[in-house]
Amino acid sequence: MPMATRRSALAEGWSAVWAQRSARWGMGIVLAYVLAALFAPWLATHDPVHQAVEASMQPPSAAHWLGTDSFGQDIYSRLLYGARLALAIGFGSVLLGMVAGVALGLLAGLAGGRTEWAIMRVVDGLLAFPELILAMAFLAVLGPGVDNLVYALALSFVGPFARTVRSDVLQVRAQPYVEAARLMGVPMREIVVRHVLLNVAPGIVVQAGIRVSIAILLESGLSFLGVGVAPPTPDWGLMIAEGRAFITMAPWIAGIPGVALAILLVALNLLADGLRDALDPRSGEAR
Amino acid sequence: MNESTVPVFSVLDVEKRFLLRKGRGGPVELRALDGVRLDIEAGSSVALVGESGSGKSTLVRMLLGLDRPGEGRVLYDGIDLQQVLARDRSRFAREVAFVYQDARGSMNPRFTIGEIIGEPMRVHRLHPAQDIPRRVALLLERVGLPASVAVRYPHQLSGGQVRRVAVARALAQEPRVIMADEAVAGLDVSVQASLLNLLRELVAELKVTLVFVTHDLGVASYLCNRIAVMYLGRILETGPVDSILQGPAHPYTRGLLESFPRFDRPLRAPLRGEIPSPVDLPAGCRFASRCPCVQPQCTEADPVARALDGRRLVACLFPLSGEVAAA
Ligand SMILES: Nc1ncnc2c1ncn2[C@@H]1O[C@H](COP(=O)(O)OP(=O)(O)O)[C@@H](O)[C@H]1O
Ligand code: SF4
Ligand SMILES: [Mg+2]
Repeated sequence: MPMATRRSALAEGWSAVWAQRSARWGMGIVLAYVLAALFAPWLATHDPVHQAVEASMQPPSAAHWLGTDSFGQDIYSRLLYGARLALAIGFGSVLLGMVAGVALGLLAGLAGGRTEWAIMRVVDGLLAFPELILAMAFLAVLGPGVDNLVYALALSFVGPFARTVRSDVLQVRAQPYVEAARLMGVPMREIVVRHVLLNVAPGIVVQAGIRVSIAILLESGLSFLGVGVAPPTPDWGLMIAEGRAFITMAPWIAGIPGVALAILLVALNLLADGLRDALDPRSGEAR
Repeated sequence: MNESTVPVFSVLDVEKRFLLRKGRGGPVELRALDGVRLDIEAGSSVALVGESGSGKSTLVRMLLGLDRPGEGRVLYDGIDLQQVLARDRSRFAREVAFVYQDARGSMNPRFTIGEIIGEPMRVHRLHPAQDIPRRVALLLERVGLPASVAVRYPHQLSGGQVRRVAVARALAQEPRVIMADEAVAGLDVSVQASLLNLLRELVAELKVTLVFVTHDLGVASYLCNRIAVMYLGRILETGPVDSILQGPAHPYTRGLLESFPRFDRPLRAPLRGEIPSPVDLPAGCRFASRCPCVQPQCTEADPVARALDGRRLVACLFPLSGEVAAA
């Protein structure tokens, strides 16, 4: 029975997301980006890193649907591969940072005492730097590259995840239902999983949703600043940086990846908001 | 060894102080329980009655092992509770059920009612997993709720329904003792009455021992066969319901009875004055500042609970006697 009710809870959560119009939009758009990223090799019309100086800075045309950049690379194809990179780095870094941050936060919140004190001092240290600065410092040490960018962003998310998970754990732990479970003789391990984790999970999911868009923005920003991924990798941040010089002559070079980025960020935020509302047990159908 | 003569719970001169950090002058000590004595016999139903802040909840938490007494001991079946818990926490957890004052808060908001009621059965392996849904339905029926409630969540139920679910969950662990803290407080009178009827039936039917916390003497006398009256962290009077109702021996009990309207008794002036602060207990009798029978000795000696007519304990230097003889 518990399995069946959990699955139906998942289905319920899904339909609660779907029931919100803005979340549906967000989900549709994100899904489109994901599909574009997955099928980039089939959807692309050109090699994204093929340079053709003779065809540089062409406006959108039949040959180059979204035009070309100053190296003559096809913007449409680079946009597709760029989505791949953005989503992979966004989701990858959040996942990594989440796993580490949740583990630390849970440990701190449950263990208390000296363990908690030590963990939280490390977390405070991480939180002392803004995400961008922390990631830049990390990249400055390790050098640019996709792997390092993922690690750098993940590191910058450990602190926020650890801190919110710890405070959620402390808050849930103080709930009468946790004491009631202990009083009923529920084993500690089960209390942690079924009572504490189950109740902090929605907060984690929502936070992860929001952080994916932050990660993508940071990733583009770092590449734009020249410390993220290296050219000629098809990356939106790099594309915007490169088109910046020609913004009046050839506005599509920076404009198109900029718009693509903005739409994705808005869609991710809509989806995250939808998740938050759907996961609140008190929303949804009234009594 | 005769089992029936050993009380389920014995509270032996239990004391509990809380340290409050208050402004300047350093920490202040609050005496939430002070020299509490109480025996709870198997099969009895005991009401802990007292005004808010008298220490009822604190005492129940001691009985449940959620808090340790600062001084004194709590015995379960004649054995020190700390020892019982260290030896076999799970057995104690199964035998003693608790219904929280905040019934909704005591339920995981992400569990369905079926999971909530099923949890003690699952944890203590009282029934095979496939029987649990059927058992849950039976319990829901027993507490007067439709079986369809099992798939709902706590926030979808009304206050009265949630209390019934809390009772069903307590029954699910097949306990020997049920403790309930203000289980009917804050409900509509009609909902209160039907819940009280249910509890009364259950206690009679299942022969469980009941410890029922309430600030309402009417509720106490309806549901329980013994009453313990608490005031500022001490039990002032304990005894069978009828003898206490007919002849209160402690002036505080009489005051409570008088402030509680009854058809067979003219309504008299309720208790005068304010309860003194538990951080600054007066010397001598803690009730002296409000006692209509106060004597000079009362502010010197702190009366301990003494046996009166063999059935009651009274903590008063000058217990009322006139009506007791008639009882
Ligand atoms: N955890 C605590 N910390 C400090 N004071 C407490 C604590 N719990 C209870 N008290 C105090 O102890 C006294 C008794 O409280 P309580 O047992 O809740 O009374 P009741 O249940 O009869 O209303 C009150 O004065 C209350 O403020
Ligand atoms: S001891 Fe004195 S003050 Fe206290 S209740 Fe008895 S008569 Fe009243
Ligand atoms: Mg209370």
